[in-house]
Amino acid sequence: MATKTKTQKNSRLKPTVKSASSNGRPGNGRPAGKAPAIRVNQYGIPDWRLEQPEFEVIEVTDGPEVHYEIKGELSTPVPPIRESKYLTKDQHLELYRWMVMNRRMEVALENLYKQSKVVGGVYFGLGQEACSCASAYALGPDDWFAPMIRNQGAQLVRGFHARDIMMQYMAKAGSPTHGKDGTSHYGDIEKRHMVSPISMLGDLLPVMAGVSLGARLQGKELACLTWIGDGGQSTGVSYEGINFAAVRKLGLVLIIESNLWAYSTPMEYQVNVKDLANRAIGYGMPGVIIDGTDACQVYDATYEAVERAHRGEGPTMIEAKLMRMKGHAIHDAAAYVPKEMHEFWRKRDCIDRFQKYLLEKKWLTPAQDKEMIAGIEKEIDAEREFAENSPMPEGHTAAEGVFCEDGCHTIKPKYGIPKKAKRSEGTLKETEAAIHFK
Amino acid sequence: MAQATYLEAIRQGLWEEMESDPSVFCIGEDIGIYGGAFKVTDGFVHHFGTQRVIDTPIAESAIVGAAFGAALTGLRPVAEFQFMDFIGCAFNQIVNMVAKSHYRWGAPAPLVLRGPCGGGVHGGPFHSQNPEMHFVHTPGMKVVAPATPSDAKGLIKSAIRDNNPVLFLEHKFLYRRIKEEVPDSDYAVPIGKARVHREGRDLSIITYAAMVHTAQEAADILAKEGIELEIIDLRTLCPLDREAITQTVKKTNKVILLHEDTKTGGLAGELAAIINEEAFDDLDGPIVRITALDTPVPFSPPLEHFFLPKVEDVVREARKLHKY
Ligand SMILES: Cc1ncc(C[n+]2csc(CCOP(=O)(O)OP(=O)(O)O)c2C)c(N)n1
Ligand SMILES: [Mg+2]
Repeated sequence: MATKTKTQKNSRLKPTVKSASSNGRPGNGRPAGKAPAIRVNQYGIPDWRLEQPEFEVIEVTDGPEVHYEIKGELSTPVPPIRESKYLTKDQHLELYRWMVMNRRMEVALENLYKQSKVVGGVYFGLGQEACSCASAYALGPDDWFAPMIRNQGAQLVRGFHARDIMMQYMAKAGSPTHGKDGTSHYGDIEKRHMVSPISMLGDLLPVMAGVSLGARLQGKELACLTWIGDGGQSTGVSYEGINFAAVRKLGLVLIIESNLWAYSTPMEYQVNVKDLANRAIGYGMPGVIIDGTDACQVYDATYEAVERAHRGEGPTMIEAKLMRMKGHAIHDAAAYVPKEMHEFWRKRDCIDRFQKYLLEKKWLTPAQDKEMIAGIEKEIDAEREFAENSPMPEGHTAAEGVFCEDGCHTIKPKYGIPKKAKRSEGTLKETEAAIHFK
Repeated sequence: MAQATYLEAIRQGLWEEMESDPSVFCIGEDIGIYGGAFKVTDGFVHHFGTQRVIDTPIAESAIVGAAFGAALTGLRPVAEFQFMDFIGCAFNQIVNMVAKSHYRWGAPAPLVLRGPCGGGVHGGPFHSQNPEMHFVHTPGMKVVAPATPSDAKGLIKSAIRDNNPVLFLEHKFLYRRIKEEVPDSDYAVPIGKARVHREGRDLSIITYAAMVHTAQEAADILAKEGIELEIIDLRTLCPLDREAITQTVKKTNKVILLHEDTKTGGLAGELAAIINEEAFDDLDGPIVRITALDTPVPFSPPLEHFFLPKVEDVVREARKLHKY
């Protein structure tokens, strides 16, 4: 007789790791202190932000032209940083360094482009460095991530070098894809556990759910972090991926970057909700709204989502509110964006605010800051030089690598042989059941 | 050795691979307790457990995406499409995410996408299609379409063991219509190798899947008239066995290309191009194509009968070509 197991929904893929251990991740264990209360929006979604800006982009037909205008209150004061519950002082400083590195690297990319050293365009995450770096920084060493185009900082945090990204843009032989692909379209399943994005938005979501599923079969609960834009989340595959992760309680940590624009389309013409995090309710998973320009909020929210994933409790949707501070890519001057909008968000620059926060706390002195930035500049210069001097690929290598063959890879379960391989003895019996078409 | 239907042979192959390799698992719609719309995984969930036989929401992109994600962690997922017609819903995952991954970023994608395709069962426009050419045309994919129980078993095993994504096309017309001795011992049929289904000296038919049996019936009729057909069962549609294709043309000097898929952009065009490249001087007659019509698969039996290539089409064209 086979033993009965619970067939209750969601217990079918039982998490095998129960402990809440942070898996060697940062965490200061400091009590919460007297942090400002967390608001809850009209649908019960927690909103960690310390301001709730009220404005709206509208389409205006004015004589022969149609353009966008912004309506609402844009003169509100810049909110403070919300104290982190988890980051230590040293971690604050390390995180700040990653954010500066992210920005300076992108300045270097822009310069390379202007010198015509880049093949194709360049994408920037200006104003979104906190969202990229602090979230990646909250992952455990074994966790996986899959960046989108604005998340170049995450790649640095997770162990890639500026030269890797530069060489991708310059289509060099030494780039992570050996010139086969460009931009952030690369990955590493061996060491850094980065899944390569593809251009098509949303397709990473089921894949990251699948990484979590695959690891769970091997007895390991992983957090699988990825980001999606306010535009990209409109795709059907996004729904499929999030829903699958929710149904199977997989460790997807999803950050929706509501940066208010998708190429030239404002969020108002992308979705008919103000807070995309509300959609978490429809999927049956927790959702939270954060200020994506506040590194501490990004870190803490991701940290909690990662913990949840490690406990096998399922996915989390984090909506980070922020602004894309450049055009879609380098060719796009973003002339369609009302300029007051840039002004409003420029005051909320994630790096300036974090820097001020650290200086005020006296965790960083102006001299140390200067020294750190100089160090970053030097490092990036060396990275750029390396990238520039590295060769282009030989044309004939285009023909290589379509198939995995001749032992180029050994495939074996990364986290050990699946333990629950079988639950009964016995052999296959012929099936006589009716089938759909005869 | 025991007799097995085409369906049972696939089940056996899949079962045996799951038994011998714990990194193999199945994922798809209604494949668990129900055992799949065609019962290929009937009983699997009871034996292997819910961790390795995973029912999903009706979300083909999620199925392929999740299978790919799991493959990145070193597993060998076997994803079922309830009907191959639904593969279009996952087109982007397959073509852009999965098939390009090894080329672009060196990540192998050892997954199998399997399910029933093909007509002749009055399934209509959405339950009868042959989607192979979308994927034959996708660099990075392997495409397999067995015609016999032994090949079905041997090829599902090879597909699972392959380090590349393999589209495994099961012809639903054959599921329970054909039966033969199938080795129970561990054996595999290599991907990329065609098979001589019937030897003959007069003309060659190159075909695959259910049409192998159509060709066989035609050959039986023609043999009585003294015309000996050689039938090549391609078995793998990508990568094609160029050598087997060339060899048979060099032997008989006349060739018919037969498939159930529609004509324009069908595999026959590619086969004709290969023959042109490799054996132009060996041809003693025009290359003949016999395929389905360039229409969706119609529902009503007389319409579907008209749409599909038939034994009489093969007999007629073979007689003509023989006389040429
Ligand atoms: C499925 C798909 N359709 C269209 C595009 C072209 N495209 C690339 S980025 C982009 C805008 C994306 O906006 P969003 O998701 O909000 O991300 P953001 O650029 O704001 O970070 C578009 C339309 C694409 N990459 N994928
Ligand atoms: Mg956007």
